[in-house]
Amino acid sequence: MRPYPSRREVLLALGASTLALATHAQEPAPQVSDAPPANAGAAAQRVPFHGIHQAGITTPRPENGIVAAFDVVATSVDDLERMLRLLTDRARLLTQGGPVPDLDPSLPPADSGLLGPIVMPGNLTITVALGASLFENRPWLAGLKPATLQRMAQFPNDALEPGLCHGDLSIQFCANVQDTNLHALRDIVKTCAEFLVLRWMVEGNVPPVIPDAGGATPSARNFLGFRDGSANPDSNDAALMDRVVWTAGPHEPDWAQGGSYQVVRIIRNMVERWDRAPLAEQERIFGRTKMTGAPLDQPGATEHHAPDFTADPEGRVTSHDAHIRLANPRDARSQRNLMLRRPFNYSRGVLKNGQLDQGLLFICYQADLEAGFVAVQNRLNGEPLEEYVKPVGGGYFFALPGVRDDADYLGRALVDAARRT
Amino acid sequence: MIATFLRSTALGLTFAGAAWAADPSLDLVGPLSDYKIFVAENTAQLVTDTEALVAAIKAGDVEKAKSLFAPTRTSYERVEPIAELFSDLDVSIDARADDYEKAEKDEAFTGFHRIEYGLWEEKSTEGLDLYADKLLADVTDLDGRINALTFPPEVVVGGAAVLMEEVAATKISGEEDRYSRTDLWDFKANFEGSEKIYTLFRPLIEAGNADFVAKVDGNFKAVDEVLAKYRTPDGGFVSYDELTDSDRTMLSAKVNTLAEDLATLRGKLGLG
Ligand code: HEM
Repeated sequence: MRPYPSRREVLLALGASTLALATHAQEPAPQVSDAPPANAGAAAQRVPFHGIHQAGITTPRPENGIVAAFDVVATSVDDLERMLRLLTDRARLLTQGGPVPDLDPSLPPADSGLLGPIVMPGNLTITVALGASLFENRPWLAGLKPATLQRMAQFPNDALEPGLCHGDLSIQFCANVQDTNLHALRDIVKTCAEFLVLRWMVEGNVPPVIPDAGGATPSARNFLGFRDGSANPDSNDAALMDRVVWTAGPHEPDWAQGGSYQVVRIIRNMVERWDRAPLAEQERIFGRTKMTGAPLDQPGATEHHAPDFTADPEGRVTSHDAHIRLANPRDARSQRNLMLRRPFNYSRGVLKNGQLDQGLLFICYQADLEAGFVAVQNRLNGEPLEEYVKPVGGGYFFALPGVRDDADYLGRALVDAARRT
Repeated sequence: MIATFLRSTALGLTFAGAAWAADPSLDLVGPLSDYKIFVAENTAQLVTDTEALVAAIKAGDVEKAKSLFAPTRTSYERVEPIAELFSDLDVSIDARADDYEKAEKDEAFTGFHRIEYGLWEEKSTEGLDLYADKLLADVTDLDGRINALTFPPEVVVGGAAVLMEEVAATKISGEEDRYSRTDLWDFKANFEGSEKIYTLFRPLIEAGNADFVAKVDGNFKAVDEVLAKYRTPDGGFVSYDELTDSDRTMLSAKVNTLAEDLATLRGKLGLG
């Protein structure tokens, strides 16, 4: 299967609206109620579903994301297998796109219709991960839990809301437009009702940035106005990803090779207070300049320039408790603690106190949960940024290995292992 | 070509399900009249039980009134899809405080839940006479109106799913009987009402839908098994607060699945 349809296919698939764009000059001026014109290429963008790893982890992060966490109703290996097969079928269909079937109109329609009669893939990825509770409450999965999978702990600055925490299973949806994600979420809620009960979900997005002449874009800004992602490890470096992101090795169960630990944290940002903090303090807190994202020791450089903390042992330029210095001291030992961050910003209305409910839907992936997120968060505990942020929810999950081909399904190796024990 | 695009995806191949053709010879008359009898029995019981509840309130007997509250409601909850056809009565009989801007303080807040609020929150029958009289008048009115009603078949058949929507929207979260925590009574009554409709019409669809029937039967049974754990010796239910998270999750999944499946009942019977 080709990863993307040809340009001609896309134009034809989109039909009249694309033609209207092409001949825009002769068309009457658009009306209030005309849909905003979509980008045909973006609508047809398709991320391959099959592979040794799931998509949505090292694949480029699109503009919109959702994380939904579910409780699972599965009382036997057979139930688990049926659920995982069903989820795989839905994810394969939704991410690859195609027409919605017509049913007898006296029945509920097969699809919510949010995307019309032809579901365009829209760069959708669906990433399925399992929580520790799935293993703990099911004796027939005993001994099969990934090595460092555990229930998310409460860190000192956390104010966790029970309704926003944990889950037996998480699904991360990422796509160019949020409607594509919402369509996929609704499809799964409907088709997997037997097995999945929604626990919480958070929607987020990152602002698109106009690419430079070379086609590259800088890191997107978070809701504190800083570029977020500058120092992420290179997701195109497969060897690096094997080391940082993908699980491998004898300490993990055989079935769990090629997966990744997913950490989701819903971190409220006190934006009003932040906007009243002096710029110099904001920059000190992160250790980076606000506008360009350059490290404070090289303020004229780009965001991708690596700070040199060895030249600043006293922390005069980059304070020892600056976010980036704590998160990654860049010494030999902290190489073990790398992670791939893939967050979205969220905005959820107003809090009881009249302040905006905005924050970071922090998502990161790592090969070892404890060496990755847990170690880094423990170093960050007590950082000055805490005055402006408050984690309120999230969970730890294990993103399943990829689906190899049409005959394979998510978690097949886990099901096979459970049958053997 | 668009055709190539479509063929290159799996969606076109696996999404399709056969549409069920309506069989005009299906005989809806029998089950419909049986259902009408079921509803009439329930509304008559509702009037009788409400009379006893009203008497206890007027006698100032808080404990007695409390003990009658949940069982009285069950006859209403069993036939809610029909009772709801009279929206004026449904509002005055069964609206909850959060249906009103001023919540419990709202003057328009009447009916079962206003009485529940008085008995459990204010722990008194004081001031409840008014609401008691109004409730009795309303349920008597409802009984009369329902007896005069010709039941629209699509409403009756659709009611099986409507009751599951009720549970999914307000019962599963424990919002319905928030003062008394007697939600499990309503829960059970909603399921009974839904299962009644389904059972009456099942013979008409059984032939072509063996998998469907087996799945729905299995889900009703699973719900019964979960609820049975919460029964008290006198035939009632323990407080909603005792429902465990895992049982709530199980019930949610069953309710949602029943809602999905029963939503196709109308179509399966050729009622558009
Ligand atoms: C609302 C909360 C947070 C905000 C606003 C935030 C923001 C930032 C910003 C602006 C940077 C610098 C640019 C970059 O390299 O991306 C950064 C770096 C980083 N952050 Fe956070 N962050 C937050 C929470 C966290 C958490 C919870 C962790 C993990 C426990 C974390 C781990 C990191 C890491 C590892 C780096 C890169 C450090 C480096 O290699 O230089 N951040 N963050």
